Amino acid sequence: MIAACASPIADERLIDYWTGELAAADGAALEAHLFTCAGCSARLEGVAAVAGGVAALARQGRISGIISRALLNRLQRDGVRVRQFTLDPGETVPCAAFPGDDVVVTSLQANLTGVRSVSLRVTGPGDVLFGAIDDIPVPAAATGLLWATPGAFVRSMPSQALRLTIRSSDDALLGEYVLEHTGRERGGEGREGGEG
Amino acid sequence: MHPGVDATDGELARAIGAGTSETAETELYRRFAPRVRLYGLRHLRDEESARDLVQQVMLLTIEKLRRGDVRDPDQIASFVLGTSRTMAMASRRTEARRERLRDVFLASDAVAAPDGGATLDLDRLEQCLAQLPDRERSVVFQSFYAECSAAAVAADLGVSEGNVRVIRHRALARLRGCVLAGRQAS
Repeated sequence: MIAACASPIADERLIDYWTGELAAADGAALEAHLFTCAGCSARLEGVAAVAGGVAALARQGRISGIISRALLNRLQRDGVRVRQFTLDPGETVPCAAFPGDDVVVTSLQANLTGVRSVSLRVTGPGDVLFGAIDDIPVPAAATGLLWATPGAFVRSMPSQALRLTIRSSDDALLGEYVLEHTGRERGGEGREGGEG
Repeated sequence: MHPGVDATDGELARAIGAGTSETAETELYRRFAPRVRLYGLRHLRDEESARDLVQQVMLLTIEKLRRGDVRDPDQIASFVLGTSRTMAMASRRTEARRERLRDVFLASDAVAAPDGGATLDLDRLEQCLAQLPDRERSVVFQSFYAECSAAAVAADLGVSEGNVRVIRHRALARLRGCVLAGRQAS
């Protein structure tokens, strides 16, 4: 059983400590408390476990959704094998992923000048909705979106054309793109596990 | 008498110094090893280095207590923290030297990335992450993997730093709840 703490540290502060965002003196004071307090140490253990798990998933390429350029750079710096496709509006790109690919990142270029948020829709054959992400914030000077999908998931998909559509928050069309995805069944000799 | 789980830190330290109780050493280790590991993870950012730090710090602490070299046993927590700081700093210097050597002698892709999160069910965590709204998931990956500051994430998302902290805290609480619920269900 863990003894109750007389002056528990707020979770937000524990997270700030873990992410290295406390001033040195504040961090040192917090550490002095942690070394005498089983309760707060146990709560920090919870933060550390989830943070470590998130990092482990990312290093395995098990990351999905819209990612920032900083995140993409970090993945590449860590040696995560990233298969990347870049599409301009109106472009159709054949795509394939291979067994060694950890994550597939699709870079959708668009003129986002003056746009603060967008939505992304991904549809398959027959306009069947494959996925949708709303209210994606657009950083200043952004020139597109980076959409990540784990390589293992992409490898499980059949051959099909995926239509991707970016719209602004007031529903203006900003870009349409098509990924001609080659699935495993058409991968052929020596390039098993296609897609994109 | 054998001080155990109910003993204060100081009582444990004195019992070790007096050589009267082996259980005191076990309890002191049980109590402080996880805290030293967390300190190591926070400052060395690597599970293996953190575990090495635990072994070095706890060994030195117990040896010093046995020899009566710790001036104030009631301040044993402070002693363990100070020792952790000193040894982590030395470890960082060693690692920096190793990295310079690796830069010189090895291709960068020959250096394996550390494998954290070994104690968590990663499949479950992945499912829990998928349930988060996209913005929260993005904040989580940027904060805990890419090591972006709240200010950097805020600039990327076009929200305030305070807002990022709220999102980060909320997302973490949801993830922990979701992972724990999965553990109980299985």
